Amino acid sequence: MTDEIIRTENLKKSFGDLEVLKGISTTIRQGEVVSIIGPSGGGKSTFLRCLNLLEQPTEGKVYFKGQDITDKKLNTSKFRQRMGMVFQNFNVFPNMTVLDNVTLAPILEKKVPKAQAREEALALLRRVGLEEKANEYPRKLSGGQKQRLAIVRALAMQPEVMLFDEPTSALDPEMVKEVLNVIMELTRSGMTCLIVTHEMGFAREVSDRVLFICDGVIKEEGSPDQIFTCPHDPSTIKFLSMVL
Amino acid sequence: MEKIIGLLDKYYMVYLQGLWGTLWISAVTVLCGTLLGLLIAALRMSRSKLLNSFAGAYIEVLRGTPILLQLYFFWIGLPKLLPFELSDTMCIVVALVINASAYISEIIRAGINAVDKGQWEAARSVGLSEIHMMTHVIMPQAVKNILPALCNEFITTVKGTSLASVFFVGELMTSYKSVQAATFLALQSLTIVGVIYFLLNFILSRLLRVLERRLTASD
Ligand SMILES: Nc1ncnc2c1ncn2[C@@H]1O[C@H](COP(=O)(O)OP(=O)(O)OP(=O)(O)O)[C@@H](O)[C@H]1O
Ligand SMILES: [Mg+2]
Repeated sequence: MTDEIIRTENLKKSFGDLEVLKGISTTIRQGEVVSIIGPSGGGKSTFLRCLNLLEQPTEGKVYFKGQDITDKKLNTSKFRQRMGMVFQNFNVFPNMTVLDNVTLAPILEKKVPKAQAREEALALLRRVGLEEKANEYPRKLSGGQKQRLAIVRALAMQPEVMLFDEPTSALDPEMVKEVLNVIMELTRSGMTCLIVTHEMGFAREVSDRVLFICDGVIKEEGSPDQIFTCPHDPSTIKFLSMVL
Repeated sequence: MEKIIGLLDKYYMVYLQGLWGTLWISAVTVLCGTLLGLLIAALRMSRSKLLNSFAGAYIEVLRGTPILLQLYFFWIGLPKLLPFELSDTMCIVVALVINASAYISEIIRAGINAVDKGQWEAARSVGLSEIHMMTHVIMPQAVKNILPALCNEFITTVKGTSLASVFFVGELMTSYKSVQAATFLALQSLTIVGVIYFLLNFILSRLLRVLERRLTASD
């Protein structure tokens, strides 16, 4: 496969005695949208965080475009610039304006000229309807606005992959839609996305593929239609019967 | 009371000089202690086991022994160790700075650790280098936790400098001693110095409260 972008081989992660990931092997292709579903504590977040080295895998390999990222010689921060991540709790930087949140990393790490970084940031903010908030501090934003800002902050580095870890779980119900719309637009633009979500309707709508992760392994994977209409694995059937 | 007024009238310059001594020694102690404390905190939080345990031992020893002992130690030891002349006062200031750096490094470390874990992860996930993450994201937020505790440390230091009078370095307690020696009015002179200490710390703690309110208001 030439268009593979991420490949994991028998990826394992333990915290002390607790083995959270028990060997995950999968391949993500360029432009693919993959949703990850599964019960709480199953290891979904840990899997995502191993992909951009927020957690160091205990065993196994992760390849990004053929390059082994578990290699000790890898420049971790350079590598992370190629992969954006959006968190459940937004984690926007409260000590700087909305605009500075977006331009910080491009200016510091990519040496983008200030004026250019600003222009690009404003264009991105316009895309998600936050342009007029550019000079506000994040504390003035609603949850939905903060999450849209977090998405834009990640996009400003022009990543090749976007990781979403329950991007709408901390939002009030009326704000879920605005964030999902932004993500949906992003998936349509051809961005490779991995999305951990409890929004089953959304997962079904946007995904090319769904992974069901439970007890640290991929119990089942398939097209959204297959997973949501005729799941095979008993644990998938049990999980879906509880959430749908 | 008359005797106190009499003392003030005659010796007010001595007390003012003492006050000045206390203030500059405290300021230098906290300022230099903060710089040194930053370094120690950085070592303490570094990934290197060696640096880490060195900083740990440094902090433990300085916090686990009496400050008066440390003052004697530097007062006697420094002149023997250094190739150049160092005044008693400078020896004592060095000792105070080193002592304060141990406490301040822990204040700094606590302030940094109190920054939400999500901020570290977000900074890393956009690809910031560890240094840029500290300078642009973590430290600006940690300062809010650190500043109030640092002001508190200043108040502690103001009181702590009184120990330096053992070596006649010219702070407030030294003023008490010299006036007492000249007039034999121990209680009166002590009262004057006590009132000055109290007022000084009273004002400082009020300023601290204003600062704290400002810092939380900007969240
Ligand atoms: N840093 C850590 N230290 C110790 N244990 C951890 C750590 N991070 C996660 N775990 C444990 O690993 C297990 C899997 O956690 P993870 O967050 O990956 O699950 P999840 O599938 O994302 O669940 P949720 O839907 O609740 O977010 C949990 O039992 C959790 O307690
Ligand atoms: Mg999770």
